[in-house]
Amino acid sequence: MSQSPWDKCLGRLESELSQQQFNTWIRPLHAVQEGNEITLLAPNRFVMDRINELFMNRINELMDSDGEQKPRILLGIGSHAKTSAEISADTPVQSSSTQVTPKATPGKHHNSSLNPNYTFDSFVEGKSNQLARAASTQVAENPGGAYNPLFLYGGVGLGKTHLMHAVGNEILKKNPKAHVVYLHSERFVADMVKALQRNAINDFKRYYRSVDALLIDDIQFFAKKERSQEEFFHTFNALLEGQRQVILTCDRYPKEVDGLEERLKSRFGWGLPVAIEPPELETRVAILQSKAQQSGVEMSQEVAFFIAQRIRSNIRELEGALRRVLANAAFTGRPITIDFAKEALRDLLALQDKLVTIENIQKTVAEYYKIRVADLHSKRRNRSITRPRQVAMSLCKELTSHSLPEIGDAFGGRDHTTVIHAVRKVEELKETEPKIGEDHANLMRTLSS
Amino acid sequence: MPGFQQLPLALQLRETATFDNFVASGNEQLVHALTDLDEKYIFIWGEESTGKSHLLQALCHQATQQSQTTAYIPFGHTDISHPDILMGLENMHLVCLDDVHWCAGKDDWELALFNLFNAVREAKTRLIITARAAPNHLNIKLADLVSRLNWGAVFQINLLNDIDKIKVLQERAQQQGLELSSDVASFLLKRHPRDMASLFSLLQQLDQASMAAQRKLTIPFVREFL
Repeated sequence: MSQSPWDKCLGRLESELSQQQFNTWIRPLHAVQEGNEITLLAPNRFVMDRINELFMNRINELMDSDGEQKPRILLGIGSHAKTSAEISADTPVQSSSTQVTPKATPGKHHNSSLNPNYTFDSFVEGKSNQLARAASTQVAENPGGAYNPLFLYGGVGLGKTHLMHAVGNEILKKNPKAHVVYLHSERFVADMVKALQRNAINDFKRYYRSVDALLIDDIQFFAKKERSQEEFFHTFNALLEGQRQVILTCDRYPKEVDGLEERLKSRFGWGLPVAIEPPELETRVAILQSKAQQSGVEMSQEVAFFIAQRIRSNIRELEGALRRVLANAAFTGRPITIDFAKEALRDLLALQDKLVTIENIQKTVAEYYKIRVADLHSKRRNRSITRPRQVAMSLCKELTSHSLPEIGDAFGGRDHTTVIHAVRKVEELKETEPKIGEDHANLMRTLSS
Repeated sequence: MPGFQQLPLALQLRETATFDNFVASGNEQLVHALTDLDEKYIFIWGEESTGKSHLLQALCHQATQQSQTTAYIPFGHTDISHPDILMGLENMHLVCLDDVHWCAGKDDWELALFNLFNAVREAKTRLIITARAAPNHLNIKLADLVSRLNWGAVFQINLLNDIDKIKVLQERAQQQGLELSSDVASFLLKRHPRDMASLFSLLQQLDQASMAAQRKLTIPFVREFL
């Protein structure tokens, strides 16, 4: 097959430009040839402008030197066509001096924005997410019913998005015609801005108010964006009035989101706000095993425990560790044993060890309780100091490999029996005083991520 | 450089970064993962001049040969002046982000990265990221971004040992049409900063100097030059 004029041009540009320039500006271009016209599609306006400014003359020259029939070069914004349908949608109308914007009306998001892998079946249930899962199944069975909006909140990487998609997928399963729309709140904002710029805000409104279920992720990103909040408020009310289901996720309880209008906060609390907590060890083990299985690999309980004990912060990190172990296994062809996992995660675990020192634990705990590190070392025995001290000691035992005498010593020269007592006390308090349990879990997460 | 008469032409033989001219020693697993297209997201971290950019450029090169579109974003470079450059990149076949630590603490860039990450994941586009440190140690403020950066195989890229460095230098010299004996190469490693970027730039200078002086690269010549 002979080289196309564009391929030849690429070859020349590659030898003329610096490697960085070629990689950054030329490689993203996708050439679409139609007759004697070649349209170069750039991924965005920024790249297109730069091509126009810096490279267009040279490109034209290079095409020229090709002899006989010089193709006409157009420039536009558009995506590389992964399907032929997309080609026609994004191929710009001809205009020699550029400026073609892609079609990005809200109508582009169809049900396809739901991830079909995020189902209730693939969701690993545990104590930490039981409630959220139960509420989500309720909503899936009876969308637009009692729990509206469903408000899922909790830290990053704990499965909020998964549950949200699971509800959407379930609604679709029951009613394939249902119009379920999932999007990230940032996307909602961006679409709205685009609609405003194009004078198409009414289309925007009509579109979002016509859906059967609206799933919006991470609504904390609405903070301080008044215009978006306003628009969302009206959409939200319209959907609720029409008994359409709204599902929202957030990194915290509605009332605690700074920069969110009061009326939104209170509306969000109308339905069912339900928390997802960080998964406990057993759930992390189950998640690892399930994810490994999805990749076609059996992971023993033993190995899963080993990894889950060390990666505590969130499920994404757990998945990352799993990917690393699987990548190494694919390379070496060796069975996945504890030693193998230890070796594969060596850099990762070394980093954690570096972070989790007695000193660092003391500093983090002191900051958390708003006391001074010196208080932890001191002889003071009032409860506002002893509790944090006990929590800190207990964390030192759990997270470091220091001996108990060493730990005691690091807390103002205390005896190792004091450490034993502290560890027992914290265990006990975690059951009887929810606040201590929560503090302990928060600190654990901060220290091990 | 006193005493050198003839000025060499300002011509540089520019080498295209490929997997063939990357010495994988100590990083075999990383290279394997990079060439495995099913590995959709990989994060590589390590010190400066350990070959991270080389690997990204090699990936881009490979993808272009298969008529795929790729984006290569070297953060911190003057060309990369506005977060809008990240828009729509999910429509490429491959997105390579070099030196993302540069984005840490810059709200607009962190947010743009976060959006790109979500879009890339939704579009099932391949994403390879490099940085100086592991995701949790980049001081990125946006927790949602940090957890996403951890969502794949994270590799630390290892430094080459001296024997491999000599090998790499000799290969590079050969491409420049320059003969570099093992003795001279190990002499360089003993007398000069040993990171690959400095060594390559030294080699470039030596190339020009030897051309100008019409002399071969011997220890006495190099000593004189240094």
